[in-house]
Amino acid sequence: MTLLAFARGPAMQAATLIMIAGMFWRLAGILLLRRKTAHAAARTPFLLRLAGGAKTIVTRTVPRKNFWPRVASGVSLGWVLHIGLFVILFAGAPHILVIHQITGLSWPNLPKGVIVIASALTLAALVALLARRLTHPVLRLLSNTDDYLSWLLVFLPISTGILLSGETVAGYGTLLALHIFSVEALMIWLPFGKLMHVALVFAGRGMMGFNFARKGAAT
Amino acid sequence: MSDQTAAPDQENLGAMLARRGFGRRSLLKFAIVMTSSLALPPSLAPVMADNLAKAKRQSVIWLSFQECTGCLETLLRSSAPTIDSLIFDFISLDYQESLMASAGAAAEHTLRQAVAANKGEYLLAIDGSVPVKDGGVYSLTGGRSNVSMLEEFAGSAKAILAIGTCAAYGGIPKAHPNPTGAVGVEDIISGKPIVNIPGCPPVPEVLSGVLVYFVSFGKLPDLDDRKRPLAYFGTTIHDQCYRRPFYDQGKFAKSFDDEGARQGWCLFELGCKGPTTHNACASLKWNNGTSFPIESGHGCIGCSEPDFWDQGSFYTSLAGSSATGWRNAGIAAAVGLAGGAAAALSARSKTPTIPEDKS
Amino acid sequence: MRDFNFLADDTLVDALLAEIAGLMENLAARNISGSIDLLGLPLSAACLALLEQRLGTGEITATLTAAGSSEIRETSFSGVWWSSHADETGRIVAMLIDVALVPEILKANTDDVRLSHRRLLDATGSFPHRRSA
Repeated sequence: MTLLAFARGPAMQAATLIMIAGMFWRLAGILLLRRKTAHAAARTPFLLRLAGGAKTIVTRTVPRKNFWPRVASGVSLGWVLHIGLFVILFAGAPHILVIHQITGLSWPNLPKGVIVIASALTLAALVALLARRLTHPVLRLLSNTDDYLSWLLVFLPISTGILLSGETVAGYGTLLALHIFSVEALMIWLPFGKLMHVALVFAGRGMMGFNFARKGAAT
Repeated sequence: MSDQTAAPDQENLGAMLARRGFGRRSLLKFAIVMTSSLALPPSLAPVMADNLAKAKRQSVIWLSFQECTGCLETLLRSSAPTIDSLIFDFISLDYQESLMASAGAAAEHTLRQAVAANKGEYLLAIDGSVPVKDGGVYSLTGGRSNVSMLEEFAGSAKAILAIGTCAAYGGIPKAHPNPTGAVGVEDIISGKPIVNIPGCPPVPEVLSGVLVYFVSFGKLPDLDDRKRPLAYFGTTIHDQCYRRPFYDQGKFAKSFDDEGARQGWCLFELGCKGPTTHNACASLKWNNGTSFPIESGHGCIGCSEPDFWDQGSFYTSLAGSSATGWRNAGIAAAVGLAGGAAAALSARSKTPTIPEDKS
Repeated sequence: MRDFNFLADDTLVDALLAEIAGLMENLAARNISGSIDLLGLPLSAACLALLEQRLGTGEITATLTAAGSSEIRETSFSGVWWSSHADETGRIVAMLIDVALVPEILKANTDDVRLSHRRLLDATGSFPHRRSA
C-alpha cells in the first residue's frame, strides 16, 4: 500500500474514530460530573437563561476594556490565528470538497491566493504566539507538553498545506500524504489536550452565561 | 554498413530495411521522432539512426500471464500504420502465444528453440500479473504455472520488460481481496534488469521508445525509483494536462455535464488522480494522438500507478478519502459516551456532595 | 505539444531566437550543426506561429516522402531550417529547427548511393567496358 493510500484509507478511518470517541468521552465525562445544587429559585425563565449562555459565548471573545492593555498582543494574535484557520478550512476549495463529500453541503470558495495569504498570516501568528510563550516569564513557567504539542499539531497541517498548494519541495503525492498525516495527528490529539477547547469553549462559556442569567446577573 | 550478402537472420537492420525499400532517410526520420519521444537531444538522431542501421534484429520473447490481452492489443493492433510501427521491423518477436500460428506442443517447442537460439540476448516481455497463491495454480500455460515459467525464462534473458500495470505491479488481479495472490514481475525476479512499463493499457509509444533505445544504445533508458523509464514517467498527468490553467484558476467541474464540464474545466473535484499519476498519456495520448481520458471528460484513474484499483472510488477527489461510515462513527460515539460516563460516574462516587461554602 | 503557455509568446520566441543565434555562431565558426526539438518545448500554437513568422521563408522548400510526408524549409536566415515531419496519416510527429549547412535528412547516404548504383547498373545493363567501346 502506498503512503498516500494508507493516509487516505486506514489512517483516516482510525483517526476519525479516535477523534469521535475521544470527543464524546471528554464531553460526557465533563457534563456528567456532579454540579453544585442551586438552592435559590431561578430569576429568569429558561429561554432567557439560554440566551444568556449564547450571549456570553460571543461577548467573551473580546476582553473587557480594563484588561485590554495587558492581553492585547495575545488576544489579537489569537484572532488572526482563528480567523485565518476559519478562512482556510471553510473558504478553501479542497476543504469545502471534503465537507461536501461527507455531508453533501457545499458553497463557493475564495480564490487560492486569498487562502495562501490567510495561511501565511496564520503561520506568522502561530510563530509569534510561540515566541511570546517562550519569552513571557509567566507563560514560560506555566507552559507544558500539552501547550507545545498542541502548537506543533496546528502548525504542521497549515505548513504542509501551504507547500501542497504551491506543489513545491516534493511531489504532489508525497506532500498530500504528509498533509493528511499531519491532520490525522491533530485529530487524534484533539480530544485529549487543550485543543478540546474547540468544543469546550462553547460549553464552558455557555454554562457560565446560563448560570449568571439564572441568578439574574449580567452576562 | 549494409551487407546484402548476409543471410536474412544475420543481416543488419539497415540492409533489411533497404531490401524493403526503406532508405536511410526513413530511418533518420524514425530516429528524429524517437529522440523527441525519449526526450533525448535531437543531435543524437543521426547517431541513433547509424546504430540502428548497424544493429541486428533484437529477439523478444513475449510471455502472457494473468492478463486480459489489452496490453497486447493496444501495442500490436494500431488502427493505422504509424512511423513507430517500424519498431516491429527492429525486433524479432520469436514467441507470442496470441499471435503465433502454432499451439500446444508445437508452441512449447517454438519457445524452447527461441530461448536456446538467443540465450542471454533476448528481451523477455511479460504482460499480465503472476499469481503465486496455491502454487500458482490460477494461471497455467500447458499445465505449467506462470511463476515457474517466469523464473526459468528470466534466467537467460538480457532484461525483462514488464508491460502493463498487471505485470509491473499486479494490476487488477491484485485488487482486494486478490484471490489468486497476484503480484508483479519485480516481486518475483531480482538480480535482472527490469523495466516497468505500466498503464492499463500502457501507451504504445513508450514500448517503442524503450525498444528503440535498447536496440540503438545497447542498454535500457534511465529509470525512476519504480523502474519506469524517466523519459515517459518523469512527470505527472497534472503537470502536462491542458486543463491545468483551470486548476490554477480554481475552475472546477462539479458534476459530469454541468456548465464547468462543458467548458472543459478541471476535473479534480470529480476524482481526477492526475496529480499523483505518472504517465505520458497527457502528451502522447491514445489512438495515434486522438485523445486521453481527461480530454474526453473523465478524470484520470491513475492506471499506471500501483494498486490504483484500491484507492477508493474513482470519483472521490484526492482531497477526500474513504472515511469511516456513519455506522462506525456511531459506534465510536457510543464507546466514547460510555467511557466518559464511566469516568464521570467514578468521579461522582468519590465526591458524594459538593461542600457548601462556610462563609 | 501542450496547448497552454505560461510565459508571454514573444518572450519565449525571443529566447528561442537567441538560442538559434548561438547555434548559428557555432555553425559559422566551427561548422557544428545543431537542432531544437520544438515539440519538446511547452509552446502554444500561437507561439509556434509567431516563431515561424519571425523566421520567415527562404529560398528552398523540400518535400520528403519517406514513412509519411515531411517538409524541410529554409527560413529567411541562411542555415536555419524549419523541419516538419508527418506520419502516413498526416499527423505531425516531429518538428525541429535545424541549424546546418544542409539538414542531415536532405543529404543522400553513402550506403543508399551504393545500393542505388548497383540497382542502376542492373536496370540499364551498363558495364564500364561497354561505355568505352
